[in-house]
Amino acid sequence: MITGYRYAIVEGFRGLKRAKFSTSISIFTIFLSLVIIAVFLIFILNVHWIVAQIQSRMELEAFIDNSYIQPQIDQLLLQIHEIEGVEEVRYISKQEAAEIFREQFGEDAFKILEDNPLPASFQIRLKPEYRSSEPTQNIFSEILKLDGIDEIIYRHDLLMILERYMHIFLVVIIVMGSLLALSSMILVSNTIKLIIYSRRKTIEIMKLVGATRSFIRRPFLIEGIVQGCLGGGLAALLFYLLFKIINIEIPNLIFVDTRIYLLLLILGIVLGFSGSVIALRKFIKY
Amino acid sequence: MIELSNVKAFYPGGEGLELVNVTVKPGEFVYLIGPSGAGKSSVLKLIYMDIKPQSGFVRVNGFNSLNMKRKQIPLLRRKLGIIFQDFKLLTDRTVFENVAFTLNVTNSRQRDIKRKVLRVLAEVGLRHKENKMPHELSGGEQQRVAIARALVNEPIILLADEITGNLDPLSEEDIISLLEKIHAKGTAILMATHDNRLVRGKNRKIIRIEKGRTIN
Ligand SMILES: Nc1ncnc2c1ncn2[C@@H]1O[C@H](COP(=O)(O)OP(=O)(O)OP(=O)(O)O)[C@@H](O)[C@H]1O
Ligand SMILES: [Mg+2]
Repeated sequence: MITGYRYAIVEGFRGLKRAKFSTSISIFTIFLSLVIIAVFLIFILNVHWIVAQIQSRMELEAFIDNSYIQPQIDQLLLQIHEIEGVEEVRYISKQEAAEIFREQFGEDAFKILEDNPLPASFQIRLKPEYRSSEPTQNIFSEILKLDGIDEIIYRHDLLMILERYMHIFLVVIIVMGSLLALSSMILVSNTIKLIIYSRRKTIEIMKLVGATRSFIRRPFLIEGIVQGCLGGGLAALLFYLLFKIINIEIPNLIFVDTRIYLLLLILGIVLGFSGSVIALRKFIKY
Repeated sequence: MIELSNVKAFYPGGEGLELVNVTVKPGEFVYLIGPSGAGKSSVLKLIYMDIKPQSGFVRVNGFNSLNMKRKQIPLLRRKLGIIFQDFKLLTDRTVFENVAFTLNVTNSRQRDIKRKVLRVLAEVGLRHKENKMPHELSGGEQQRVAIARALVNEPIILLADEITGNLDPLSEEDIISLLEKIHAKGTAILMATHDNRLVRGKNRKIIRIEKGRTIN
């Protein structure tokens, strides 16, 4: 068993060395497809990240009836807090509202008025999983039903647009990514087919002297895996360096999940391995 | 040991074997003689189960074509030594590696491989050329390497398909006497050839084949 695997590994590497050109093409194909897939992936992750940022900043602002006094307001705050999906409720008193207004529009804006016209309000933040438009809409109407709440403001339209585009993006990118993965798998399997074809004589002799099917396949599968490792590794390296440079030049421009390197490597191996499996089906039938 | 009984086997093109009966007993040296296209190679292919009979059966060393699974073919072939007119050596490997190939493929231990390969190379008279590449050898020597590769697994029979076809008369004689030596040590041989001269003056069992039919 062990000698069998050692032999397969030796043979696999021997095959890679012998077919340097085809092997390089195969590695390059894997590398290129993974780079494109990774660009898609990083793009979608960043769009997602930006949307999440915007969503997290979108709070509901609920204005409180002017006639309500402190104990009633406390009661109201508790009621809102109990609604499912609400993460945090902050009370903004009339005075605080006036202060915020002053900070934003300057000292003297209120001087012409003798009374403070700004209502007290609650700033309501939702839990992350309730931040898309449908649950937000539900919470919106829940709160509006409460006595003492006059009006609620939030940028529903913006949220809807963001979400709609997110969905379209996601579909487009998944479709394109899958097509790309598929075509690169076919490309890789064709290159490996060439490699196998160039060694059909070896395979013929293997069959004659009693090699099992799995024994014949093993070196080619190892070659596929090695090619995938190299293609995936190169792609991972490229992005690692790229992000490093970008982060030095413009910090925090893009959001990178470090698991992407591992993902690239695994995708590469999957591509190389499945490419070999497809190619081998044609050549070794028994 | 080997028995082909009333075998019919046709290729997709419609050519092939009409009716073949062959038996080879342990240790026998049998010639299969017939003109080009008669079906000699096809008979050998039936024995190493590269093709299957449409009717009749092939029995080889306990395996029977009627109930044999594809997965068992490698096991069967490990008991056969097969040699061809065109040697079928791996041109990018040394003599030693070519012979060791058979053993590598069947998962032998590294130490055994060295011992067995050197012994069989000595047997075919090529012990001193173990590190040469095939292109550095004469045709006769290349055929000996192929014979060594076939022998190293200690087969019950050598199947030889026109193995002197590419050789000059002198090398041909060499190879034939090598086969006789191997036979004397107890290995059965089935030798396919169109060349009647090879059996002239020898007392060998002969099976004649013509147009896909064996004639006893
Ligand atoms: N793979 C194949 N596909 C279709 N027909 C084939 C195939 N191999 C052989 N044949 C046909 O089967 C017949 C027998 O061929 P076979 O090779 O067994 O003859 P042979 O006696 O070995 O001839 P030779 O002395 O020329 O090697 C021939 O008519 C040949 O054309
Ligand atoms: Mg023939």
